[in-house]
Amino acid sequence: MKKIKPHGCIEKPNTDGKIILPIGHYAIVNCRNKPNNIYTKISIYGLGSCIALILFDSKNKVSGMSHILLPKCQLNKKIEYPHKYADLSANLLLQELLNRGAIKKNIKAVIVGGSKIFELDENGIGINNIKAIKNELKKLEIKIIGENTGGSEGRVVIFDTKDFSVYVRLTRESNLQKIKYS
Amino acid sequence: MKKPIDIKLTQEQLDILKELGNIGSGHAITALSKLLNIKIDVSLTSIDIVPFWKVPELFNKSAIDMVGIYSKIPFKSDLAIIQLFTKVSIVSLINILSDNDKIMVDDIKTIDDLDDFSVSIISEIGNILSGHYTNALADMLSIKLVPNVPKIALDSLNAILETLIAKFSQLSDYMILINTKLIVLDVNIEGIICLIPSINILKNLFNILNLKYDLNL
Repeated sequence: MKKIKPHGCIEKPNTDGKIILPIGHYAIVNCRNKPNNIYTKISIYGLGSCIALILFDSKNKVSGMSHILLPKCQLNKKIEYPHKYADLSANLLLQELLNRGAIKKNIKAVIVGGSKIFELDENGIGINNIKAIKNELKKLEIKIIGENTGGSEGRVVIFDTKDFSVYVRLTRESNLQKIKYS
Repeated sequence: MKKPIDIKLTQEQLDILKELGNIGSGHAITALSKLLNIKIDVSLTSIDIVPFWKVPELFNKSAIDMVGIYSKIPFKSDLAIIQLFTKVSIVSLINILSDNDKIMVDDIKTIDDLDDFSVSIISEIGNILSGHYTNALADMLSIKLVPNVPKIALDSLNAILETLIAKFSQLSDYMILINTKLIVLDVNIEGIICLIPSINILKNLFNILNLKYDLNL
């Protein structure tokens, strides 16, 4: 496969091993060659109607996360940030993982986000995002083993690449909760 | 394949937009100042054209809980005003305007923790600011503009902004924000009024103002 390098890949964590993911960006972490035993944590502070898509292969220790804004891209445009869109992000993130040595049948997904912050009538963005990403993952035959979606509050998401656990905190709560995997 | 829409504005166009923001926010903040009977300091209006993912960086308060008051202005295409206040500011505003018992900031975690009266005070502040802002714009452009009833959210700033970013960055990867900061030092009020025109509406605006444009739409 031709190697594409779209905008919006964050490769290097800062010194304490953290990556803060802006909208439309993604990060891939390969834990097999970890420097100085620091495990990267990828986080998003203030996830509203957006989706955090987390894919990982726990056997080969490759994982990735993307911060998705919209359900669908418009086809007639050149796309600079493909991870802005649910339909492109799922596929590209999977490809990136496979390129770094993950195996398709090991890959599991966790999705977080898609809340409704303002009570607007036209504001189905959160719900549409959830639908779109679930639909895409189904097409790619990736199992969703954990999710924390919907509602009307913002979230903080932290993905720990050491043990592939995802922690979520809703705006009204004060503690991070670990998402249970099925 | 079309290229993504770049927004390149001339200095004249930027100045016009900035002036719209100055006049609108000037009227809005004067009205608020009269209502509260206090002096409000206003920053110069700034205009930013930034990629969608950089929008939260403009506000520099990402992890702080803010109250967002969103007023949609029905016009030919998307136009909106968002007012952002820190939670502390909103609580002091409510305490100034209401005769009820004082509200403590730490008791308020979500919008549901506020009683109906306080929520309607926030709406009313939103209405006054967005109403005067759009009125000034409408006068200047000789068009009719009336904002919708504002919607209120209390959440971290990033979460509030995401909804707006999702709405305004569908056509282009860039967004235009016309920001005015207001501050009242002695009672701890800090807020931002932000006018967000969609790219399509720029065309309309420049047509009304008889400005030439080349927006590559």
